[in-house]
Amino acid sequence: MTALLTLDNLHATVEGKEILRGVTLTVNAGEVHAIMGPNGSGKSTLAYVLAGRPGYTVTAGSVRYQGRDLLALPPEERARAGVFLGFQYPVEIPGVNNVYLLKAAVNAARKERGLPEVDAFEFLGLVREKMKLMHMEDSFLSRGVNEGFSGGERKRNEILQMLVLEPRLAILDETDSGLDIDALKVVAGGINSLRSPERASVLVTHYQRLLEYVVPDFVHVLLHGRIARSGDKTLARELEQRGYDFLAGEAA
Amino acid sequence: MSSPLTQRIVEEYAGFARTLAAADAAEPRRRDAIGALETAGLPTSRDENWKYANLRPLERQRFTPAANAAAQVPELPTGFDGFARYVLVDGALVAGASAAPTTVGATVAFSAHAVPPRTAATDRENPEVARDQRLALLSDAFAPSDLTIRVVRAPQPARLEVLFVASAAASEGASYPRLQLEVESGASLILIERHLSASTAGSFVDGAVSIELGPGASLEHYRLQELNGRSIFFDTLAAQLGQDARYRLHGIGSGAQSARSTLGVRLAGERAQLALAIATLGERQQVQDTYARVEHAAPNTRTAQTFRGIAADRSRVACNGKIVVGRGAAGSDSRQSLRGLLAGPEAEIDVRPQLEIYTDDVRCTHGATAGKLDDNMLFYLLSRGLSPESAQRLLKWAFLEDAIAQITLPQLRRQIETRFAAGLHDETLLELL
Repeated sequence: MTALLTLDNLHATVEGKEILRGVTLTVNAGEVHAIMGPNGSGKSTLAYVLAGRPGYTVTAGSVRYQGRDLLALPPEERARAGVFLGFQYPVEIPGVNNVYLLKAAVNAARKERGLPEVDAFEFLGLVREKMKLMHMEDSFLSRGVNEGFSGGERKRNEILQMLVLEPRLAILDETDSGLDIDALKVVAGGINSLRSPERASVLVTHYQRLLEYVVPDFVHVLLHGRIARSGDKTLARELEQRGYDFLAGEAA
Repeated sequence: MSSPLTQRIVEEYAGFARTLAAADAAEPRRRDAIGALETAGLPTSRDENWKYANLRPLERQRFTPAANAAAQVPELPTGFDGFARYVLVDGALVAGASAAPTTVGATVAFSAHAVPPRTAATDRENPEVARDQRLALLSDAFAPSDLTIRVVRAPQPARLEVLFVASAAASEGASYPRLQLEVESGASLILIERHLSASTAGSFVDGAVSIELGPGASLEHYRLQELNGRSIFFDTLAAQLGQDARYRLHGIGSGAQSARSTLGVRLAGERAQLALAIATLGERQQVQDTYARVEHAAPNTRTAQTFRGIAADRSRVACNGKIVVGRGAAGSDSRQSLRGLLAGPEAEIDVRPQLEIYTDDVRCTHGATAGKLDDNMLFYLLSRGLSPESAQRLLKWAFLEDAIAQITLPQLRRQIETRFAAGLHDETLLELL
């Protein structure tokens, strides 16, 4: 097993308030990890810290990705190195064309690896193929990024971007929230299609629902900025039945 | 009481008038203009509609037209496919670089001695408009020549490109681009009007454009201000639209050290339609100031006014958009959206919407904002691997989108993109879609 991502005693603050209070976690290539926890436990903060969002300050601990100090890289370099964040609330960017963004993102990563730009024609073919998988209409290509998209469409668009970018490490922040059951299945299908021995995913989620379709290797419960318990997929079911309260004592 | 500046102009004019030919057809116009100037004076920064403009260059300027430096053909940018081109350097037509005087559908005439005055397109009887348009009086008084274009009805729209080139240094006198355009009933024209510099000298340019669209006429007008960074640009445009006339005006300003455009459009005929879209870019210490006044003077007229300005470095970008819906303009529809983007810590944006409505039966929407690039959007793009520079360029381009979306000439879109967003377009990809 190769450790793709290692978090060691990670502490982070947002606006001076400590949100992560010592997260330690190892994600190996080939694994799917689920991070669950109640609102305010630090799940989204963890996702943003890994992606490098400004305003999230790491005060202690370390994050290594493929042997490198991830925290030393600016967000765009993390992305080019294969880290992908699927946003909980993907922003609408009117005027920036969806397909243009996709191609710019792919080319940025290719440039990093010394590869030439993708051929526009082949690229469109690839995008259309992935769109079919995500049940997206062709007209989406020429629209602005998430412009006028419903919540579900935005989430599907996140997964589409992931499929096109083929990241090594996907961090999906509540990708399941706001999806109806059909959309959930489509999104799960997208995530599963990218599972492979060299890639890993971290699914940040509030509910166990997504995990019915994307079966995790490990489930971690985040409480008050720390991992209170880790287990296999059965932990998710237990949480669903008993709620997070039964773990409250363990986090203190 | 006229100011010392006005006095100086009147005296300078007296000297200039002595050099004119005895048979100068424009003499009555010149005399009227200088008289009006003497009464009204030039605008000052105390004038409400001029407070964002840089008026200081007027104080030192000599207004006598620069003697045109022989008919040397300057180095010119590539023309637009299918457009007949006319090149004027400091007011003189460069025959060698210009199309024949007549092309299909349009009559183009150039007069070194101005044609008799045509003031129909302006409504300077309106005191407010007259005050706004005072800079055109300098042109009326001093300009050595006019370009007049008359477009007649034809199966296809006429396509013309007019290049006004400034070459003389401001110390040698002023450059006066002048255009009188008439699009006859049912006729249509696509016009590209460009203002550029032939040298590195800083010129003083005072443009005056008057436009009359007859009933059912149509004009698609692109105005590009690309003067060098040492030049001063003043510009006055007055247009009048007849019944069912359609006017689409795209102003794109990124040049000059300081620029002020004063636009006045009067929707005089029923169902006349105007789409006014302005995009300006300020960099370094540039001043880009736009004043646009649109008057609905007839029933069921429509306006869509869009302004997008980006202010970088220490520049100032301003837009004052005024819409007047007159008593006789029942059933009119007027939309206005003015937005400025601050792209530098010391930049300044001033957007000012003004509505004056004198009838109940009207639909008006307006909005004005000034802000910075959205951090959430920026981070989203970075998280996809785009460099901060590309992400900012992309967002600036997106910001301009509403003001340039309707440009139908791909070549022009590309050019604007290069200028405003340092070339990020992916033509191949978009063509494949």
